[in-house]
Amino acid sequence: MSDQLEFDISLRFAGFELEAAAEVPLNGITALSGPSGSGKTTLLRAIAGLEPQAQGHVRFAGEDWNGLAPEARGVGYVFQDARLFPHLDVAGNLDYGARRRGTPRGLVDAVIDALDLGPLLHRAPATLSGGETRRVALGRALASGPRILLMDEPLTGLDRARKSRLMPYIARAVAGFGVPALYVTHSAVEIGFLADRTLSIAEGKLQGWSGAGPRLLGQVTDAVPGQVCLAIGRRAVWLQGHGEVGEIWALPLGQDYLAASEPPGLCNAALTIEALVMQAEHGTGTCDLDVEGQQISIGWHREDGVLPEPGARLWLSLPRLLARPIQVNREAYESNLT
Amino acid sequence: MTLWGPIWLTLQLAGLTMVLLLALATPIAWWLANTRARIKPAIEALTALPLVLPPTVLGFYLLILMSPESPVGAFWVTLTGEALTFSFSGLVFASIFYSLPFAVQPLQTAFQSIGRGMMEAAATLGASRWDAFRSVALPLARRGVLTAAVLSFAHTVGEFGVVLMVGGNIPGRTRVISIEIYSAVETLDYRTAHVLSGGLLVFSFVVLTLVYVMNRRGVRAGV
Repeated sequence: MSDQLEFDISLRFAGFELEAAAEVPLNGITALSGPSGSGKTTLLRAIAGLEPQAQGHVRFAGEDWNGLAPEARGVGYVFQDARLFPHLDVAGNLDYGARRRGTPRGLVDAVIDALDLGPLLHRAPATLSGGETRRVALGRALASGPRILLMDEPLTGLDRARKSRLMPYIARAVAGFGVPALYVTHSAVEIGFLADRTLSIAEGKLQGWSGAGPRLLGQVTDAVPGQVCLAIGRRAVWLQGHGEVGEIWALPLGQDYLAASEPPGLCNAALTIEALVMQAEHGTGTCDLDVEGQQISIGWHREDGVLPEPGARLWLSLPRLLARPIQVNREAYESNLT
Repeated sequence: MTLWGPIWLTLQLAGLTMVLLLALATPIAWWLANTRARIKPAIEALTALPLVLPPTVLGFYLLILMSPESPVGAFWVTLTGEALTFSFSGLVFASIFYSLPFAVQPLQTAFQSIGRGMMEAAATLGASRWDAFRSVALPLARRGVLTAAVLSFAHTVGEFGVVLMVGGNIPGRTRVISIEIYSAVETLDYRTAHVLSGGLLVFSFVVLTLVYVMNRRGVRAGV
């Protein structure tokens, strides 16, 4: 049995043509990224069966989805505009898919717990804030016990602070419930934090894959409500989040880290960590680093083109710590450490 | 002569018409709200015809259609043994046509305002199309359903021309309130005309007020 989502889809509208074929691994979060109007949402809808005119095929873990109605595909779709049912309260929205797909009550309760939906259960959707609405929409999709989560820009329209509060929920939902996700976005922040890999699309054509952004992996060694202690090599870092001892978490470097060739001394970075330059490529400006026994690659963009020498030491300073649990095979994690 | 005969007959006619009309208008309105077929404007115009046609024209064609010489009328005679024209069944049949736009249009507007989005959300949560219609579309369109029910009932109560053309003026069978008022005025029985006309005026005012109150509450509640 294949553990991939395979698709080869073509769809024509007036003035727009989508031609997309790829094989997406069914683990972690795969970002589908591209500019507005590039066909991201259309592709996601076609995979969900919401574009009846789409030609081609969709195969999920070896199962043929051609001609299968959307309700029979077992997807959990989080719409950009949430689309909560206004005539039902939050509990009713969560139960809607759960009842129809026969999700065990325990899973629904776990979703309510993981997304902190308990205080919202008897609220009407019209009374929820933007962030609460997105959480309920994610919870509703998860509570239906989906085989894959299809998320269409679920955080669009929220400011960065709200996004930062909600992204860990998404990461936790995907990692905690073991549901792979295809995540449409054009936000570099969301890709940097959430994506395990990225599939790019432009003008209706897939452009290729890229891996996760630079990130450090660590293991949770201690956890208290709202905080976890992450062991990254010899370093132990406390950061915000809900987790359990033994989980593997990723700490993305994000967009705003600083790389310095001298120790920064006292600074207001949330974390400064030492790295050893293994290799530096002049053509691409990529530096391969060893950070606490982990290999990561970062872009090294200097106008004079000077790159650090192999063997040189660097200090990476992260202005904020935002980490997430990831779905990772423990052997793969341990083999990643040198 | 008692006034209750025409009143009871009118209520029976309006009630039965309302129920049958809702059953008939719901699928038509759903189709009109969701279709992209080229024939849609023609079907919309057809359902709206009773709004602009003089009742006598509609009544005339219905009389022809329901006469035992026509296929429809002949089929009815074979089925029930009695003619559709000048019968209570004929009045129900004609009322359904006459009040059709008053049921279809509120329902169509309500279904259109729901949009495809909610149905798609229901489908991705495992609901079949019928299930999604029953559990999402109908509850969200409840104002439209109520408006359609109230308007088709009230409009049937107030019909005159079509009833006179198709049903004539047979006490106990086709003499509804509006016909009774007409007969009363012709025979200079102004007292009966006043009682029935005043009753209809108050009834219509109350019904329309109810419709507007419902709409206002719906707008406030955001549904």
